[in-house]
Amino acid sequence: MKDLQPPPQESATPSGLAVDDPLWYKDAVIYQLNVKAFLDSNDDGIGDFAGVTSKLGYIRDLGVNTIWLMPFYPSPLKDDGYDISEYTNIHPQFGTLDDFRDMLIEAHRLGLKVITELIINHTSDQHPWFQAARKAAPGSPERDFYVWSDTDQKYLDTRIIFVDTENSNWTWDPVAKAYYWHRFFSHQPDLNFDNPQVLEAVLRIMRFWLDMGVDGFRLDAIPYLVEREGTNNENLRETHDVIRKLRAAIDANYKNRFLLAEANQWPEDVREYFGDGDECHMAYHFPLMPRIYMSIAQEDRYPITEIMQQTPDIPDSCQWAIFLRNHDELTLEMVTSKERDYMYTTYASDVRARINLGIRRRLSPLMENDQDRIKLMNSLLLSMPGSPILYYGDEIGMGDNVFIGDRNGVRTPMQWSPDRNAGFSRADPQRLYLPPIMDPIYGYQATNVEAQIRDPGSLLSWMKRMLAVRKVSQAFGRGTRRFLKPGNRKILAYLREYAEDTILCVANLSRSAQPVELNLAPFKGRVPVEMLGRTTFPPIGEMPYLLTLCAYGFYWFRLTTDAEAPAWHEQVFSIDERPVVVLFDGWSTLFRDRVMPWRIGMAEKTRLQFETDTLPRFIETQRWYAAKGVPIERARISDQVIWEQGKWTWVVALLEVGAAPEPVMYFMPLALAWEADEDRVHNLTTAAIAKIRQQANVGVMGDAFADAAFCHAVVEAMAKRRELATAQGKLKFRSTAAFEQLAGADYARLPVARPQGSSSNTVVTLGERLLLKGYRRLRAGASPELEMGLYLTEVVRFANCAPLAGVLEYVGNDGQTRVLAMLQAYVANQGDGWTYALEYLRRHLEEHRTTPASDELPVDAHKAFLILIRTLGQRTAQLHRALASATSNADFAAEPLAPADIEAYRARALAQGRSALGLLKTNLEQIPAADRSKASEVLAQQEPLLARLAAPLAQESQGRKIRIHGDYHLGQILVTRNDFVIVDFEGEPGHSLEERRAKQSPLRDVAGMLRSFSYVEHSALRSVAHDEVEFAKLAPLAHAWAVQVREVFLAAYDEAARPAALYGTFVPGQGLLGLFELEKALYELHYELSNRPTWAGIPLQGILESVGDVHANH
Amino acid sequence: MQTIDILVDTTREFFHQVAALLPRLALAVAVVLVGWLVAKVVRFTIEKALRAVNFGVLTQRAGTDHFLQSAGLQGDTTTLFGLLGYWMVLVAALMVAFNGLGLTYVTDLLQRVELFGPKVLVAGLVVVLGSYFARFVGESVERFCSGAQLPDSDILGKIARYLIMAFVVMIALSQVEIGGDIVQRTFLIILAGVVLALALAFGLGGKDWAAAMLERWWPRHKQNDQRPL
Repeated sequence: MKDLQPPPQESATPSGLAVDDPLWYKDAVIYQLNVKAFLDSNDDGIGDFAGVTSKLGYIRDLGVNTIWLMPFYPSPLKDDGYDISEYTNIHPQFGTLDDFRDMLIEAHRLGLKVITELIINHTSDQHPWFQAARKAAPGSPERDFYVWSDTDQKYLDTRIIFVDTENSNWTWDPVAKAYYWHRFFSHQPDLNFDNPQVLEAVLRIMRFWLDMGVDGFRLDAIPYLVEREGTNNENLRETHDVIRKLRAAIDANYKNRFLLAEANQWPEDVREYFGDGDECHMAYHFPLMPRIYMSIAQEDRYPITEIMQQTPDIPDSCQWAIFLRNHDELTLEMVTSKERDYMYTTYASDVRARINLGIRRRLSPLMENDQDRIKLMNSLLLSMPGSPILYYGDEIGMGDNVFIGDRNGVRTPMQWSPDRNAGFSRADPQRLYLPPIMDPIYGYQATNVEAQIRDPGSLLSWMKRMLAVRKVSQAFGRGTRRFLKPGNRKILAYLREYAEDTILCVANLSRSAQPVELNLAPFKGRVPVEMLGRTTFPPIGEMPYLLTLCAYGFYWFRLTTDAEAPAWHEQVFSIDERPVVVLFDGWSTLFRDRVMPWRIGMAEKTRLQFETDTLPRFIETQRWYAAKGVPIERARISDQVIWEQGKWTWVVALLEVGAAPEPVMYFMPLALAWEADEDRVHNLTTAAIAKIRQQANVGVMGDAFADAAFCHAVVEAMAKRRELATAQGKLKFRSTAAFEQLAGADYARLPVARPQGSSSNTVVTLGERLLLKGYRRLRAGASPELEMGLYLTEVVRFANCAPLAGVLEYVGNDGQTRVLAMLQAYVANQGDGWTYALEYLRRHLEEHRTTPASDELPVDAHKAFLILIRTLGQRTAQLHRALASATSNADFAAEPLAPADIEAYRARALAQGRSALGLLKTNLEQIPAADRSKASEVLAQQEPLLARLAAPLAQESQGRKIRIHGDYHLGQILVTRNDFVIVDFEGEPGHSLEERRAKQSPLRDVAGMLRSFSYVEHSALRSVAHDEVEFAKLAPLAHAWAVQVREVFLAAYDEAARPAALYGTFVPGQGLLGLFELEKALYELHYELSNRPTWAGIPLQGILESVGDVHANH
Repeated sequence: MQTIDILVDTTREFFHQVAALLPRLALAVAVVLVGWLVAKVVRFTIEKALRAVNFGVLTQRAGTDHFLQSAGLQGDTTTLFGLLGYWMVLVAALMVAFNGLGLTYVTDLLQRVELFGPKVLVAGLVVVLGSYFARFVGESVERFCSGAQLPDSDILGKIARYLIMAFVVMIALSQVEIGGDIVQRTFLIILAGVVLALALAFGLGGKDWAAAMLERWWPRHKQNDQRPL
């Protein structure tokens, strides 16, 4: 079976938010949206709610789950709506309350939460409350709605926020004949929260919107609610009292709503806005944002780590809101004056970009449209503790316009398409509330949603992927944060941990590639899985974990405990971890009958230690150890020979592992290297079994397959057809007639390398000419692979297999033969068919992950791949024809398929079906919820399924039975120069040697390959789709690929194989082919249920499809 | 008639004696047969026991097996010891048998052979252990000299080994009382010869060095330290 990544986690809704979770905001990804700027549905030049509603699908597809709507209330719009003149209505430009309600309903239907602005620090001076107040008598309740004074000399300790436009927080009102207090613009008088009626009025406003279904409020300018003389009038205790009352009012009557505090303060002051979990649910982390920019500018992690270390803990129910950019300037209030100068120099050398104490630019221009930097910034935003907020347009890299006044340069229309007005509006361009960006880089002709949605490599597509990946783990939203401190300061590395989930984030803040060594010792043994590509990295070991990152590169790794290490990874244990074996007498130490009489006791003790500790600990960590996870008590040396060859000696040992009556026999050649021979020590260290010492001489004992001299000696012995007596039998080295041609005369000088990917066997290459395959688990009897290899090489000379050059066999005194090693021709290849096909389909799905579902694929989208599959079909047929050719060898002579054979196939399939379905019943709970319905359906179809397996197959007796591959799937073929070489003729490992050697219908191989296609289809789908929305979108693409591949393979096979009359019926889903395919799916089901239930969905799907075929045929 | 009587008596006497001898002869044959069987058991037991304690490893590493095989013998030292045990038991049985038959001269002869057996056994053990010791010392010397980076360490190791072997052979020969004085004298002569040869070699080779050393220790002409003004 194939080793792949676990399937994506399931989320409760397509948006990733749990349906009824009071802490939903901790997993929120918020999209900040300006109604005015989003989409104009009525062509008046201004965006509206109907436009927003029409684009909610886009927002959902982006991958966010919450919308923050900027002010949409009636307003003179002197401050972009933050100057409200009526709290419980919609500005007519944006639509009506009904439009808003429709938008809310649609958003909720799509699984999106909606939060709105609650601007209660001030109103517009046009608000009826202010108009009434200015006319009311001093001291009256109406007048007291605002803060009045006869002098502008009160609260002199209070800073002015908009220093560019205001020179006082007081403004004279000629009607009221008094000064009124305003922290922002003079047209925004502050409400007076010392007046209880103001709070009551605010509560009524809140209830109005909450009753309508709004999910939360952003509390604008919340630190400034209350004023007290002698203070700076920020963060006052009385202000917190007001917030607590607002919160209490929400909690008393509403479920799962929340408050987000906009408090542009230092973290320790912002902390107060969480209270004891009884004030705001969320608050902005303002100082983090400029420090992210600072870190990138300085290429140093310090600004980020420093501010995060200053960030206090917050109550468990609370969350930070973090952002890169928003509708205001990039505020630099939370940095020192020197840092501010640095930021200005770096990011706003054009003084027009500066406003107040900040920079009025969008993310892309700040990053000079450097895609790598933009992605790095976003990766930091999405992985830092808190709920990220994305500003509309930043997902496509929109630009800004510094020539527009105030902060309106970052509030331009959303760029939907290259059409007129960026697709934002059909109005005449001069009617637009602001002109769209039109410069050559960021202009809507170059940067727009329509273009990017079709481009898999666009920023928008990348954002979608990132947001989909972020949804996979709650550690991003809810996890703790722990910085690592690698020596390279240009690298920012931190861990996000939540429950059992650990995410490692590593970012290169510099403009050049950087290496980093991370101390991940506490996670030793875990396998990092890169979350974007789901690529497994080598497991974490004792040594610092080395990574290299490209310029502005980053990684998100999930440190998994269940993922398998990459197939190519060779687990190299530190030699320090290995035990020391004292060899007082060289190899003889291990054999009591080879040491001096007075050392017999020591030898016995050493042997016991070697067999019960040294060898078991080594074998347990080897890929080829079949019973993974089962500890070995003793690995007994059952037979051995000390093989001397020139100056080298090895012990060629056969081990009995496990307890009687059925211990498993393993082949374990051993080599020694002493410290003086550094090269050999180095080579053996990669497969070290133990450190060794003989008096003052130290060295390494290792697997002899890591010793080039041993591999050469084996080949040499094969060439000379040597025999070597062992204690209980003999070793027979043999070569085939093809040896000389394959090995050449200089085989002794071929460099020995140990390629990756070996699993149950050990594979060593000699140059690019020979491949020495050492079997580990030994079985007595004729080896199918040896028989097939000899037959295909020497008898029929089948071109598309690896020719056999030699073999090493062990013949015991009991007469039983076991194959220890085979020497084959090396096949230069592009990897196995499984990896090739899987990667192909993954690429195909990746390319279409973000493209619109409506985009139709070209008819010949897979043309090149299908040509390859056609070749595979032909090669498979040629193999079967070769195996069916006339021969005097009774083991290979084709025979007619007798009714008894078909009956036996049927019986075997039926037994397999009963066994698998029985297991399915008992293991139903282990199957992931998403696949449980399939399991139930299969169980419901049990009777017709078994009936089908039991049904007679009269037409099949026309076929023939021959020797077949027996374990034929994509993993058993090597891709080489647009062709295939078929390898590994061992047969199905779960079957006995006799079963593997039995003649069969060749359709069994064909069925195996068809099932392999199905595995590729579902494996690729699982590894690419991050959530069920993507899954649903990509599944038809994957299935279409699988259907085409099946058809082409079967057609090519039939065309090439039919003349040989190997089978009667050749209809997919019917006859023997259908039977074998169903049997194989049942076998896979049994395997998956026993080994990895999360994969049971694949064979279950195959079984259902087979049953479906039956129904369709009926 | 008398002559016939004499012949008859003689014949009778002969038959009497034969009749008297036959049981003893039968007994002797039985004793030899039993002795032969016991000898085989002893041989088997000795070989098994010696092999069980890895005596063969000792003799192999001591070089005695190789020596024996070089001498054309089929077995190894362990086989030889087994054979020795076998013959000792068999000779003992023959002694008993011949003694029973009254062949005292043969018995005495066999007794001498029998008494020689243990000496051979001990001598054999001396050779085996001595050879192993000689090899061990030789290898140690060689390793030490090699470690100390002395030239010709292998030659020095071999000298040490063969020197010890010479003594071991002397001890073994004295144990089996072969050669006696003449071997000892010969050995001493050879040893004296070797020492003399070495003394001459070193003496001649190092005479200049020795003269220089003597001159340094006891100079023939005192140096005049006074220098002209």
